Amino acid sequence: MQKSYINSLYQLLKKDKNVISCLSDSGTDYDEMIAREFPNQIINFGISENNKVAAAAGLASCGKIPFVYTTSAFLAYRSYEFIRNDVCIQNKNVKLIGMGSGLAWSTLGVTHHTTEDIAALKALPNLTILSPCSPKELEKCIYTAYDINGPVYVRMGMSNEMEIYPDNCTFKLGKNNVLLEGNKGAIFTTGSITSEVLSAAKRLSDEGFSLEVVNISTIKPFDQQSVIEECKKNSVIFSVEEHNVIGGIGSSIADVIAENKLNVELIKIGLADTFAVGYGTHSQVLEMNRLDKNNIYEIIKNKLS
Amino acid sequence: MEQELKELRRQIFLTGYSVNIAHIASAFSIVEILYSLYINHNLKYDSKNPNMESRDLFILSKGHGSLALYTILCKAGFFDKEFLASFCKPGSVLGGEPCIPYIPGIEATTGSLGHGLSLGVGMALAKKLDGKKEKVYVLLGDGECEEGAIWEAIMFAAHYKLDNLVAIVDCNKIQKMGSLEAIMSIPSWKERFLSFGWQVEEVNGHDVNALDQLFQNEDNIEKPLVILANTIKGKGVSIIENDSRWHWRLPNKKELKTFMTELEISEEEIQTCRKAI
Repeated sequence: MQKSYINSLYQLLKKDKNVISCLSDSGTDYDEMIAREFPNQIINFGISENNKVAAAAGLASCGKIPFVYTTSAFLAYRSYEFIRNDVCIQNKNVKLIGMGSGLAWSTLGVTHHTTEDIAALKALPNLTILSPCSPKELEKCIYTAYDINGPVYVRMGMSNEMEIYPDNCTFKLGKNNVLLEGNKGAIFTTGSITSEVLSAAKRLSDEGFSLEVVNISTIKPFDQQSVIEECKKNSVIFSVEEHNVIGGIGSSIADVIAENKLNVELIKIGLADTFAVGYGTHSQVLEMNRLDKNNIYEIIKNKLS
Repeated sequence: MEQELKELRRQIFLTGYSVNIAHIASAFSIVEILYSLYINHNLKYDSKNPNMESRDLFILSKGHGSLALYTILCKAGFFDKEFLASFCKPGSVLGGEPCIPYIPGIEATTGSLGHGLSLGVGMALAKKLDGKKEKVYVLLGDGECEEGAIWEAIMFAAHYKLDNLVAIVDCNKIQKMGSLEAIMSIPSWKERFLSFGWQVEEVNGHDVNALDQLFQNEDNIEKPLVILANTIKGKGVSIIENDSRWHWRLPNKKELKTFMTELEISEEEIQTCRKAI
């Protein structure tokens, strides 16, 4: 994911001298190269996320397009009021790029996990929230973020996510996309965990439970129509997310179901109002928290059997 | 000029009194600073074209001093007295804390303390990156400097040599619950800023001529400048000066007499305010 981010950022830095990469000692392997080629377009604010976010709003007030890049936990939690007051209330053209979302910082533990950011940020007016599931989709999200004249939060992983789109990525702002067809139910998911969901769905399909897998890559504005259509086709739907079940995509789906009086059962799979536990590889920590492909498979199969 | 300053305080009080709310004392301590910037044109602006590209930028980080800023903006011609009189009334865009984008002359939404200097740092950096000459001024409260983000911005401004940034600290030495000395003392403001790599000037924040001189000094030493403006919270009405109890309150009947005498307010003007309430 990180390489994808750098590739797309590089293109934008080249295209528009107002694009500024804003770091808070949150560098990538490519910053020296960027600093050589674009010395006036990369700023390290030091370890000070709050100043960085508000200063980015100040930069945007003067025509700059800051890409504020750091660990998503430090961005979404530490800087929340600065995102709210300086970026969202004032509707500034600031791009907030949260890397390592969900449990991606799997060896560093709970302070580095980002499992409540969607809940916290989706309530902020003016903010677009993108959550790509693969490197190609991330690139599209970064270009889309640039095209939007306003605040955007991009929730990206960092665990060598596999490419889910073999050919062209079909990302469209505000539109969910179906990654796998099926007729026994639907699974909605978002971000890095999508590959686990696809593995589980393929195994279920082999066993006769063919389920549609829907990728919610735009968390806000939320694609209500896609949810309505799936709910009308199915009697049970699932949401799977590397996030607390409170306030995540499952909650957004529940809102749509209630507001449209849809007659469907929703099973929310995620962290059950708890912080994640354990250390290890990303896959291992997903497993410890019952969010890996096998657990997803079992929860869904038990429900459908 | 003395009469003009008194008139500004009179206007601030009457505007706040007519809606029964206001941070009067916080507004009174910054009247001369704003007068020097706006009325004596140490700030570059065009009130008839508030978004003029080549304007200097001013941020009231201590947003609760808004009534002083609105009253100065009115005097400087950004809007008329009727607009000012709408303060905190239904349908108005003039609230207790400044908000963009509907108030001519207001550059940033502030209110939660500790944000304005970082906003200003970003603006100053953008101007420098573009090779522009405009300056950015940020007015901070001294109590506000208890917020950590302020010091992040102070470090940043020095490191990036933002010599187009001027911070003014309204050192009135009083915050809501008492004196800074009692609550969170900063015994050496000057040394603290010097040690962070800033250029520091101290001034009597009620001496307009001294403020003019500092603002006009074009001493470019590749450092951000902080002006420590020693002020009196509540300056202009004897009974509220240097008294934290007046951070957020308006006078009772007896106290009102002092306001009326010292600010030369007539009974008729008070009656007009009462009708508005």
